[in-house]
Amino acid sequence: MGNKIVTFTEQQLEDYQVNPDLVPKRMTENQAHTIVVPVEEIEKLPELKENPFKRRICQVFSHDGSGNLTFEDFLDMMSVFSEAAPRDIKAWYAFRIYDLDDDMYIGREDLLEATRLLTKGELHPQERDEIVASVLDEADVDGDGRLSFMDFEHVVVRAPDFLSTFHIRV
Amino acid sequence: MPSRQIPYGTLRLRRSNSDSEALLTGGADSDRQADIIVREMEQLQRLMEDNPVSEELRRYGPKNREALRDLPQGLTMKRTVRAKLSASVSLRSKHRPISFYKRLKYRISFALKKGRDRISELIFSIEPWHEAIRHLEGQFGSAVGSYFHFLRWLFALNLLLAILLLCFVVVPQVLHDQGNNRTGSMGFLDFVSGKGGFEDSVLFYGHYHWGDVTSFGPLTYNMPFSYFFTMISLYLFFFAILCYRTAYSYRRNFIEIAGGLSNVFATKVFCGWDFGIVSQHAAALNASSIYNEFKELLSEQNKKHVTMSLWRRMWQYMVNVVVTGAVLALVAGLQYGLWLLLALKTEVQHWEIFVSLIITFVVALCPLLFNLIVRVEYYKARTALYVTLARTGLLDISTLTMLLVYWTQSDTPCWESALGRETYRLVLLDALVSLFLLPLVEFARGFIFKLNPNSGAPEFNIAYNSLTLVYNQAVLWLGAVWCPLLAVAVALKFLLLFYVKRECALRACQPARKVWRAAQTQTVLYMLVTLSLFVTLFSVGSLFLRGSSQTCGPFVTYTRVWGVVSEGVLRLPERPALRRVLSFLTRPGVIAFLFLSLCVATYFMRARARAQRSMVDILRRMLVLQAKDKDFLLAAIDKVSNGEWLYNPREEEQAADSHTLKYLQEVRKPSNAAYHFDVTRLNHSMSETRPHRADTRPHSYHVDRRRRSEDGDTDSSFSWQGSASCLNHTKDQ
Repeated sequence: MGNKIVTFTEQQLEDYQVNPDLVPKRMTENQAHTIVVPVEEIEKLPELKENPFKRRICQVFSHDGSGNLTFEDFLDMMSVFSEAAPRDIKAWYAFRIYDLDDDMYIGREDLLEATRLLTKGELHPQERDEIVASVLDEADVDGDGRLSFMDFEHVVVRAPDFLSTFHIRV
Repeated sequence: MPSRQIPYGTLRLRRSNSDSEALLTGGADSDRQADIIVREMEQLQRLMEDNPVSEELRRYGPKNREALRDLPQGLTMKRTVRAKLSASVSLRSKHRPISFYKRLKYRISFALKKGRDRISELIFSIEPWHEAIRHLEGQFGSAVGSYFHFLRWLFALNLLLAILLLCFVVVPQVLHDQGNNRTGSMGFLDFVSGKGGFEDSVLFYGHYHWGDVTSFGPLTYNMPFSYFFTMISLYLFFFAILCYRTAYSYRRNFIEIAGGLSNVFATKVFCGWDFGIVSQHAAALNASSIYNEFKELLSEQNKKHVTMSLWRRMWQYMVNVVVTGAVLALVAGLQYGLWLLLALKTEVQHWEIFVSLIITFVVALCPLLFNLIVRVEYYKARTALYVTLARTGLLDISTLTMLLVYWTQSDTPCWESALGRETYRLVLLDALVSLFLLPLVEFARGFIFKLNPNSGAPEFNIAYNSLTLVYNQAVLWLGAVWCPLLAVAVALKFLLLFYVKRECALRACQPARKVWRAAQTQTVLYMLVTLSLFVTLFSVGSLFLRGSSQTCGPFVTYTRVWGVVSEGVLRLPERPALRRVLSFLTRPGVIAFLFLSLCVATYFMRARARAQRSMVDILRRMLVLQAKDKDFLLAAIDKVSNGEWLYNPREEEQAADSHTLKYLQEVRKPSNAAYHFDVTRLNHSMSETRPHRADTRPHSYHVDRRRRSEDGDTDSSFSWQGSASCLNHTKDQ
């Protein structure tokens, strides 16, 4: 990672005023939307290194779904995880992160995989099944066996700690 | 449809569902997505006008948010949308001048918003310890981070208080003192107790001049005015800040999550992982704590939920009440003991230091005691924590109030300075305990853990440390009036406390094993600080209204401290009319009336909140019914696509015999019965004709209908049956 400093035009500065406490830390690119950082490098960042969902986060924020981020994608990611991002935006991106197979629904397999990642593989499959059944029981309002965005938002917006846990400090 | 069962209707927003679906699928390419967004925004008329006001509205939004910012799209998308918006605006521009007043109003609000943004940017850029707290959060999780945030916020508050007090009160006094010489011996014990040479110093209230201060030049500075007004305005200002912060925190952490507390599993899965964790050790601990919590939840779910018998519930309730009573008695007993201790006049030198030492130790040890006591009671974990916090808060506030009462009742000639000395001693001795003693204990425990890893790992005790902060802040609120330099002392102490606690945490503590829910606890802590300030305001205010010390302090020339306002500023003795108006306004009747109207307003707000809550309930149930609707309609669509047609082309008019009647009653039943009401379609008018048709029906439909009519939600006047096949059947007969 080099020490090159990106200079912004005035218009770009205005565009990037998405969240005022966004301070990009590492400037590696000369051109903000063309140079792409491969996903392995992003995953080495200290903020993402220990996150079990790091691969999925990179995939969600990348422009082509592969996980390689341009600088703008990186800014997007940091701005969503910052403190000033509104709750609804965080809920939307959280939904996309937990939707591991990208079908706009959090299904049983997504939930199973999520619980496995959260506990680093320590739960028995049977326990995982029970957990997933309980989650669907609690959250699935329309009864179709998977969580749509509305179900997910309904749960997460009312969780007391969502804002404080879904937050990466830059 | 199931949702038509409910007797009330609520307003439903019309949404263009297809557009939202298209946005969600993300399959559409970005250009088409941008078009969709622009189309939606174009529907808002106000945004689309072509004048500088609307331009700013588009960028800043009507409610001080960027209209574009709230869209969950990437930056590139937003830029595209904005370009398209501007393009479409210039297409349909009609220059309509808006009135000068409106333009002015918008300009002011945008300027305010811009100013607020700049201020928050400025504050962010000078935020101290940002990196340090981030490092701690990465190591220990966001709960410990929240403690350090609290500490930093209180430090900023105290620093502001200290600076203002220094500027307005202390510095003029120091300038005045330069005129007169002062000598006095200062020993070490004097430094601790505040007596001796310190007694008559800038430190305490008694020293402040009661008249004008003239240092250089022709300007005079009226000390009593400045002292009084500085204190009052600072206290009220900080009270407003604290109320705002507490209300904001309460709204975010308690009200907005109402109804969400029952989704334990879903919350655990989706909000369990702390995204701010950076170190591997903390991540492993987070994973294992999530694992433990899952196991706990599973076992709780699996064991048979035995509803407790009435006796058992009553027993638990009784135990709670008895223990609470015991704790209150303990606190009262402590206060009484304190009173006796203070009243004891012994020959021991520096008796006050001993008393302050005892108070400090009691306040330091009681939270641990309350922690043990609450384990005897039957509370849920979170409630137990709040109960402990409330009891400790009660102990602190009652101790300080007892001190206030004692010193005002005593006959010492300058009781204000005595009280100031007391608070000064309390802060000093507590600094001794929390800056030296406790870290030593923590380091010792950490050392023992290193030698013997089997013993329990020392964790950073967030509750205890937060309570220390609340206690210090409460002492400061009480003491700042009588000892203005106390604000400086407490600010300095918090500064040192930050570094000491940081070293403690990093070197001697391990990340917590159980996950600590920080958000709601923060609200409770803010509430405690606000409450202590409120109690101080109340007691000091009532003191000022009643009388003042005649022997020392800046208010000796006034019989009551309130006289500064009434005689000094308003000059009431010379204005009898004004005096009559004011004395009328302060009559008990007027105050009671104001209080009553406040109660009525509160009741109204509460009733409105309750109505809105039940509305939310209704809407939630509607959501569920809508989902059932969706199910029902999907099944119906399934059936229709399988070849069962609901509507047939209308036959020519036949004689009104049983065929037509059957046709009308069976096939031409519309699916939306709400549109027009036809008595022939009523259930009971058909009941007698139903049985004999049952056996002519093909088997599968018959079964369907049975199942449908058993489902309580389905309107049984709906029946698909007897569509084309039945009609053919009957016609053949």
